[in-house]
Amino acid sequence: MSRLDRWFEGLARQSARRLSRRNWLSRFGGVLVGGATLPLLPVARAAEKNAVGEDGVRGREGDPTRCEYWRHCAIDGFLCSCCGGSHTACPPGTEMSPVTWIGTCRHPGDGKDYIISYNDCCGKTFCGRCMCNRNEGERPLYHWYRNNDLNWCGGALAQTYSCSTAVVVKTAKEAQPER
Amino acid sequence: MKRALVIAVVLLASSPAVADSLAEHDYILNCSGCHRMDGSGSRIVPSLHAMRELMGTPGARQYWVRVPGAAQAPLSDARLAALMNWLVTRFTGKPPAPAYTPEEIATLRSAPLRDPIAHRDTLAPQNTSHLERLERTPR
Repeated sequence: MSRLDRWFEGLARQSARRLSRRNWLSRFGGVLVGGATLPLLPVARAAEKNAVGEDGVRGREGDPTRCEYWRHCAIDGFLCSCCGGSHTACPPGTEMSPVTWIGTCRHPGDGKDYIISYNDCCGKTFCGRCMCNRNEGERPLYHWYRNNDLNWCGGALAQTYSCSTAVVVKTAKEAQPER
Repeated sequence: MKRALVIAVVLLASSPAVADSLAEHDYILNCSGCHRMDGSGSRIVPSLHAMRELMGTPGARQYWVRVPGAAQAPLSDARLAALMNWLVTRFTGKPPAPAYTPEEIATLRSAPLRDPIAHRDTLAPQNTSHLERLERTPR
């Protein structure tokens, strides 16, 4: 321990001898300003396109608290990202229903179709925030397993619907509806 | 070069898996919502792994297509035949012999079962104690 102390002491004394306080301030200021301008560089913006999101989907993620977010193309319910959870995780105190309805959405970043699982989070009273009702590719109620008006909390221990997630399962072979 | 290779491998590994076949794609979209991705089912949905017990039982082959989820799936006869061949192979370990044809599927799905669990009991005794009957499930 004393060796570490001595080493730090030596380092501090050395820098105090060599550098002025203004020198340190100007360098620190430079780092602050320089760091803030980095995302404006074209290099940083190009890197964003190749960023890999939570589910391994490449490209700018967008805002999962908005209904317009690409994964929400077939959702009907409250967005868990507005309710204390995220678009892939349930809010604390709720349970993800094991049964769910599944659809496909096109990712505007890479133009591919992805299979999205809209697992409901169950167990607390309905969230009431960020209602989103887009229903693209949804089927009528007589195709109940492709319909999102059902309470999919039927498969969970608690039947109370709280909010919906949008989890990417795989890349789709084709967009629904199938031919 | 080595570093580029490593980065490429990491990027590839982290991108979401692509459905291997159209049959798997159809399984995910039409079956896995209730039977789940691994076929294990849930409190109210039978496990597809139980198909193994029925393999070779007279009537099983027809029963699997006449259950409402299969018979009424929004798929053509040809796609449902491909899906059933894939599904039986995955959950029983053996491909159906002979393979399902679109013609056979068309005949079978024209008579969907109204009470699949009761019909299942007529084929072979099974243990459904883990399943809650739908009518007993609170809604």
